Amino acid sequence: MLQPETARLLTEGQMLVKSSDVGNTQEEPGLSEAEEGNPFNFTPQLLRLHRDHQLFEDGDIHRHMYLQDLYVSETDDKTTLSVSEFACHISGCSAVFSTLEEYEHHYNSLHRHVCCSCRRSLPSARLLDIHIQEWHDSLFTILAQRQDMYQCLVEGCGQKFRTSQHRKQHLIKVHKYPPDFRFDKTKKDRGETKRPQQKDTSMEVAESVCESEGVCEVMCDVLSDQPEHGESMETHVSEEEAARTATSAITEDHANLSAAAHSAENTSSQPLKPQYSYRVPTNVCFGHGSVRGFRGRRGRRK
Amino acid sequence: MWRLNKVRHKAGRQADSLEELRLKRRQQEKDLRQARRDRQLVSKRLLLNEDEDQSEVTMDADSGAQHVVTLFHKLQHSGPEKEVHLKALSKALRDPSAQLTFIKQENSMHLLVGLLTGSNATCRLQAVRCLHELSHSPHTNIAPACLPATPYLLTYLSNQSTKFTELCLYTLGNLCPESDVVQEKLLAQGIIPALANCIENQRHNLAVVEAAGFTLSQLLQAKDGGGKIIPMVLASSLPSHLLSVLTPDQNFGLAPAIECAWCLHYLTCSMQDNRVLLAHGALSRCSSTLMSLGGAVAEGNKEEGMELLICPLLRCVGNLLSSCPAEDLSSQVADVSIVVTLCALLQAYMQTQTALARESAWVLNNLTAHSSAFCSALLTFNLVPGLIQLLPFSQGINIMILRVLANIAHKKKEYCVQLTHTGLLSGLCATLKMADKDIVTLSMDVLFMLVVSSPQVAEEL
Repeated sequence: MLQPETARLLTEGQMLVKSSDVGNTQEEPGLSEAEEGNPFNFTPQLLRLHRDHQLFEDGDIHRHMYLQDLYVSETDDKTTLSVSEFACHISGCSAVFSTLEEYEHHYNSLHRHVCCSCRRSLPSARLLDIHIQEWHDSLFTILAQRQDMYQCLVEGCGQKFRTSQHRKQHLIKVHKYPPDFRFDKTKKDRGETKRPQQKDTSMEVAESVCESEGVCEVMCDVLSDQPEHGESMETHVSEEEAARTATSAITEDHANLSAAAHSAENTSSQPLKPQYSYRVPTNVCFGHGSVRGFRGRRGRRK
Repeated sequence: MWRLNKVRHKAGRQADSLEELRLKRRQQEKDLRQARRDRQLVSKRLLLNEDEDQSEVTMDADSGAQHVVTLFHKLQHSGPEKEVHLKALSKALRDPSAQLTFIKQENSMHLLVGLLTGSNATCRLQAVRCLHELSHSPHTNIAPACLPATPYLLTYLSNQSTKFTELCLYTLGNLCPESDVVQEKLLAQGIIPALANCIENQRHNLAVVEAAGFTLSQLLQAKDGGGKIIPMVLASSLPSHLLSVLTPDQNFGLAPAIECAWCLHYLTCSMQDNRVLLAHGALSRCSSTLMSLGGAVAEGNKEEGMELLICPLLRCVGNLLSSCPAEDLSSQVADVSIVVTLCALLQAYMQTQTALARESAWVLNNLTAHSSAFCSALLTFNLVPGLIQLLPFSQGINIMILRVLANIAHKKKEYCVQLTHTGLLSGLCATLKMADKDIVTLSMDVLFMLVVSSPQVAEEL
């Protein structure tokens, strides 16, 4: 089963992506000549290693130990092999793992079902659909003024309600949800609250949510000041991080995805205000909407 | 002559516990690594008498020094007991402070040289023994003091007494790395032709060949490197002699081949252009030797110390390949099944000697970079699944293996399809998620080549 990122690569590879930062080495944004063509420029290379090369160190030491009569047969000292660690490549997420399973669990828990408008991660595809509908669909807003639009969150129930409050009541009464369940706040609150700690806490949110045993959390249309409590399973990836990323080895444009995560105005009625220059129009969403890309500081993690 | 068993017996006899030994060894290893980082990695060898042991208790410093002075005086004046005194002196000179004391005595070296070149054969032997002890000294000002003896040592290389020749050779070998001054003198005195003649005339005497190989390897490690020494060596008859020694002798063991292989390594890695060595057939010789050794390893006959020979051979092949023009490759490395050997070495040494595994992978890269024949061989011999299994391992292993796989994919579209059938895609699924940026980049390159190669592959994804 292929991860979305690989599927994305597939489309890109076949499209010969045109992008502004091609280079797979330098990080300067200055390399921004719009280069047409292929970022995949591997060529086979003969590697000549000089005498003092790092690769030769162990063998040299072994040789000199033998010369100095320090040679010992191998069965005495078993070396432990080191295994590459895995890292989440979602821009803004710096999680590192020692096994593939841990990585996949992380990814599946936090980076699936991400809303491309507001970058929240939802626990399931259905809840994502509901979220998008209730938060980012102007038609919904209009219709909701006249008819019951808010669906019950429990699958199979099918009931609809005029307001999210009504839905909440229903969930508590009929489906026995706890009253302190993290329900959505009303739309009214949304526009007012800002997110001051966006930059700082985005990482922490990711990590803290990671640790919590993921109670199925309802998607909220809330913008709270305490992202950690209000957001439950929703994770926000810092847009600023992504913007700071210079080139990536792969020209994933999504690194600077249109979604203006910073913007507090997530009302679907307002167009998202771009805060940085984007290469992709804001209304274009790629599949799961997860942001991809390497951050500049990735290199230090070795 | 070094027998690897000797070391273990020595270790067993000592009072130190196994744990202490291990600690000591680890510390020595650390020191060696630091020395290499400082480009000061130099080793000397001490040839022991058959009956003795390096750990024999010597007298304490002061009495040792005094003893040396006494012996020196006796030697200056005595007649027939010279042999006895000389022998005692050689034992006394094992101690570093005694060495210093001896050198400081006026005319001490003059005396030794006189005895070295005198008419008494036993005295000559003991005198060279004394010089040998001095050459092994940790003090840096002792080696220059031995310089007056070197022209004679070189002359004696053509003599027929094994023990004597060995001592001369190891003494010279210990002196070589000391300083530029010493090297200049030795070169001027004709050390290179002397070594060439020695190996040629004593080809049957493997103990001497080993000693000569050691001495040459010391000379070749000199810092000037490509400057003067290496061109002179390449111009001599030494390369062909070195190549002829590579096949290990059943009875004698690996030691001479080990020394000669290291000499070849120092030659190949210092030159940008290895045409001379290629013309001598070095690549084909080294690769065929590697194949026979690899075959033994694959069968489970890991003779002790084999990696000491495999390592320099791998390096020679690797660097010679980088100098070999693509069109000559098939004539130099005739047998494509060398890829089987290399993969076998990779698997065999992954756990115990990861550095060797890494070097094998490097050689595979150089083989496959510009040759379809070797790429195709990897596919035909079904070696790719084994390589894919090694992709989780870091420290240079997975990145090099990815290069090899990329080399294969780069050649032809059919190879890409074949690669896909080996299960490479699932291997890539893992490497794409690794933290190391270079690995991810390379994985993307491979994946791209696979995807672009044919619509079938894209569909399989």
